[in-house]
Amino acid sequence: MKSTLVITTVGIFALNSKGSIIERKFFSKDPKKAADRYRQLRKGEIVPELSQLLKELQKNNYDELLIEDRILASKISKIKDFNCKEFNESSVIQKFREKLDVTTVKLGRFSDRQDFQDFTSKVTLAIAEEAITSETQKKDLHAIQAIRTLDDLDKTLNLFSGRVREWYGLHFPELEKLVDKHETYARLVSDLGDRENYKIDKLESEGIPEQKVKLISEKAENSIGYSANSSDLETLQSLSKNTIQLFKLRNATEEFLEELMKKIAPNLTAILGPLMSARIISIAGSLERLAMMPSSTLQVLGAEKALFRSLKTGSRPPKHGIIFQHQALHTAPKWQRGKIARVLASKLSIAARIDSFGGEFIGDQLVEYIEKRILEIQKKYPSAPKVKKRYGRSRGSRT
Amino acid sequence: MVEVEVHEHDIFPNVFLVKTRGQEKLATRNMVPGTSVYGEELVQHNDIEYRIWDPYRSKLAAAIKKGLHELPIKQGERILYLGAASGTTVSHVSDIAGNTGEVYAVEFSQRSMRDLIEKVCRNRSNVRPILADARVPAEYRLLVRIVDSVYSDVAQPNQANLFSDNADVYLKEKGRAIIVIKSRSIDVTQRPTDIFKKEIKILENCGFHVSEVIRLEPFDKDHAMITLGR
Repeated sequence: MKSTLVITTVGIFALNSKGSIIERKFFSKDPKKAADRYRQLRKGEIVPELSQLLKELQKNNYDELLIEDRILASKISKIKDFNCKEFNESSVIQKFREKLDVTTVKLGRFSDRQDFQDFTSKVTLAIAEEAITSETQKKDLHAIQAIRTLDDLDKTLNLFSGRVREWYGLHFPELEKLVDKHETYARLVSDLGDRENYKIDKLESEGIPEQKVKLISEKAENSIGYSANSSDLETLQSLSKNTIQLFKLRNATEEFLEELMKKIAPNLTAILGPLMSARIISIAGSLERLAMMPSSTLQVLGAEKALFRSLKTGSRPPKHGIIFQHQALHTAPKWQRGKIARVLASKLSIAARIDSFGGEFIGDQLVEYIEKRILEIQKKYPSAPKVKKRYGRSRGSRT
Repeated sequence: MVEVEVHEHDIFPNVFLVKTRGQEKLATRNMVPGTSVYGEELVQHNDIEYRIWDPYRSKLAAAIKKGLHELPIKQGERILYLGAASGTTVSHVSDIAGNTGEVYAVEFSQRSMRDLIEKVCRNRSNVRPILADARVPAEYRLLVRIVDSVYSDVAQPNQANLFSDNADVYLKEKGRAIIVIKSRSIDVTQRPTDIFKKEIKILENCGFHVSEVIRLEPFDKDHAMITLGR
């Protein structure tokens, strides 16, 4: 005999062709547990309530089943004695769902309509919460946060390093030109403080190269800056110390990101390197979205402004977005860049798809192919083409 | 204490006009007194608390300001809300629908959904959050019952079809709907007016009667709000 299975947030129901209930199994009255069941069923798991229900149906000779869910339908069909089909819309089910509150109150499951509403409302909330928890576990979200943190840190570090140099420059202006690296500069300020401390042995223990040590200590003796007392420099030294900490944090973040990217997107990383891969995922929104993009979109990711200007006014479209930072692109002569960008984008698309939907590592082959293609392009277009008349420059000329 | 005057809106029950310091602002009755959802002002009058409804923050408020004639959202009704975002407008819709109403809030972005749950759903039992893609209405058919009206504010190129697909599954016979069209998310290169015309055409081809089209300038640029029914 035929029966229709209806899954709801309160339980599973088996209906006959007239739409009345033959069997029913309620979920737990704990909204969290009911939400769990809902999630498991959506994933196609045969939960205990369902298998009990199926047993009852078997006893009563119901062997042809209909269910709204395709995965569940195929799972149930694998059980002996059942033939289960997926179907889409049915007025029987719709009517049943509409009267679910009245029905369940009649069955004594809920005391009244309000009770039913409260319960289903809680289950829906629990389902959404659960969905968010599993969403936030996606690793590419962490990569996106990490790359944005890295960008924020770089901005902040530039700001603070500049400030340290400006401020310390009042006391020891000559050091500005002698030490290029921000991190080293900040360390000298924080460790040595007053320029009187710039003795040869101390500078050596800070790891300053030999030929510079002498120069720095000489300049320190004859500096034209004001002479500071120790309390003058305290705040500045503390700023330097914090800046050094930020440098350490920056390096740690970068290492973390490198590890993470190798894990979540090995193919992409093989072509673009960890930082740029993370950045392109960050622009796309997620690895999956990047994978779903046509590679022509990927090619101009990061050049949205130029792209939309081109769509709006008919000016020339951008050839490359963020992928311009790839070694092969920005070192190439101008007339080859568009061609190389297309090659790169197409292979990146393949890489992103493999990474997102699970596949083997073929990053090395992709890199090899890209290199081969670039050589071909270089051979075929060794010199700049003759300048043709530019097309579509004026506003509104696009048809 | 500032002098406050409160009137119910002429044609929309449960929507209020609050007059303070000579200014007249839209408001709804706060379902959860004492809490402000997105930083909006709370006003007390005769022991009832109202939440000021900012037309620059909420497109529905903008449409009412611009002279909307029909509001399909009513007390005690079920509403399917597509594109709930962080719940600014949802919270006011929830105020209007009241305790006996139900608002099914569909949103695809987990980031926005986080805010929606934290700020709106935890306090308001009539709002049911659904993290799902509105382009696939079947995804949430186990959670949503037939509704009295649909409110659709999704910035999607195919939003008219998306709305119609949802209405086919969930909107009751003779149900009413509101749809917000953002012309720039359909095509940046075309004139908004042309896009609105085209979208209305699509809706009419899907069997809807458009009863009102309201442009939301100056509150929102290149947006139109359309009320319709079967």
